[in-house]
Amino acid sequence: MFTKILFATSATKESDHAARVAFNIAGSYDAHLDIFHVPGVPSRGYSQVVVDVKTKERVDVDDDYLEWVKDEIRTYYAKYLENGLRYDITVAIGFPAREILRQAKDTEPDLILLGGSTGDEEEAVYKKSMAGTTLQKIARSAKCPVLVVNRPAASFWGGLSNITFGTDFSKASDKAFEFAMKVAKNLDCELNVFHALDITSGATGEMLSQDEIEQKIREALRMIRGRYESRLKELKHYSMDVWEGIPFIEIVKYARDIHSDLIVMAHHSKKTEKADAILGSNVEQVIVRAGCPVISVNR
Amino acid sequence: MKKRILIVDDDPNILDYLEALFKDNGYDAYTARDAKEGLKMAMEHKPDLVTLDIEMPGDWGPRFYRQMIQEKSLKNVPVIVISGLSGNVHAIPKAIASIKKPFDREKLLGIVKDAIG
Repeated sequence: MFTKILFATSATKESDHAARVAFNIAGSYDAHLDIFHVPGVPSRGYSQVVVDVKTKERVDVDDDYLEWVKDEIRTYYAKYLENGLRYDITVAIGFPAREILRQAKDTEPDLILLGGSTGDEEEAVYKKSMAGTTLQKIARSAKCPVLVVNRPAASFWGGLSNITFGTDFSKASDKAFEFAMKVAKNLDCELNVFHALDITSGATGEMLSQDEIEQKIREALRMIRGRYESRLKELKHYSMDVWEGIPFIEIVKYARDIHSDLIVMAHHSKKTEKADAILGSNVEQVIVRAGCPVISVNR
Repeated sequence: MKKRILIVDDDPNILDYLEALFKDNGYDAYTARDAKEGLKMAMEHKPDLVTLDIEMPGDWGPRFYRQMIQEKSLKNVPVIVISGLSGNVHAIPKAIASIKKPFDREKLLGIVKDAIG
């Protein structure tokens, strides 16, 4: 299922919960893990002086520094690396999103795995240098699915067996569904297809009556059946549900309620207005809030 | 009638220790070394409380929990997570407590007493 995973890590405690997912998935599914780290961001332009992510000091980059960083990573993840895992450690100087995407282009992984924030806005070296977050940029541009573990709660608690697939019935969602089906088949998971009916006044333009909401729920369920059920029958266990509310909240709640250990969604399956983009699309909000890893499928 | 506690953990030392601790304090205690055995024991003995490790060979604790609560009679059984894994408080959101190994026996007994008497 996963043969080559690119795990982009800050190699700090902020990435620990993502590391647990990365090493466990790589170990469980015998995948090769490319541990990728951007140790510093150039202080300006293409300068060889970088701000070190861990120490936040200015450092001259040379081969010794890069080797030292690799050793640090090897030491930091020693307990995971001793079990015969196939891995490489790669370090690159630059802006994280660009470097991660460049590495992905070179190595063509079938999954990119990212942790959450590297600290608060004031402290984080990565964030200070970025317009928008690393996570958003990668999720939007990556050619392969991107798995994000943003919170400790979303870490690995014992395997993948129950997947929530969130759909908005777009073509992009259909692509994400194919990916969810592939994971569910290969790993023998239950697949739960879920649609959140957006009943916020911004989406509907008015306050819907309960009868109208329930009618829309019935329609959405019919759409799920029409669009996905013939394929779902290939699986042993599946379900279809529609809840009403604020979509990203409902998806997080639903996944928590059914004890999902993975959420799969399409990225930017519907275009967002500029103002919405600041808050992020539904999938970005789900990534930030979910209590399990989220895979965003971009294309 | 004594209250029943099921201990699910892959560490035999923890199993022995907790079994003795609970029995010494007036409970019936049953042990299981993995999730599969735990489910069998849970169905058989209908425990009043379960102490659960997270990281175990085979299925981990959260999957045991998910399977256990499918059974109507076990749906509301309180669970105490006892694990050395960091962030274990997130593993089972509905657990009544999450305790990190090594743990304080009096604290554990206090939680058990509050939950089932």
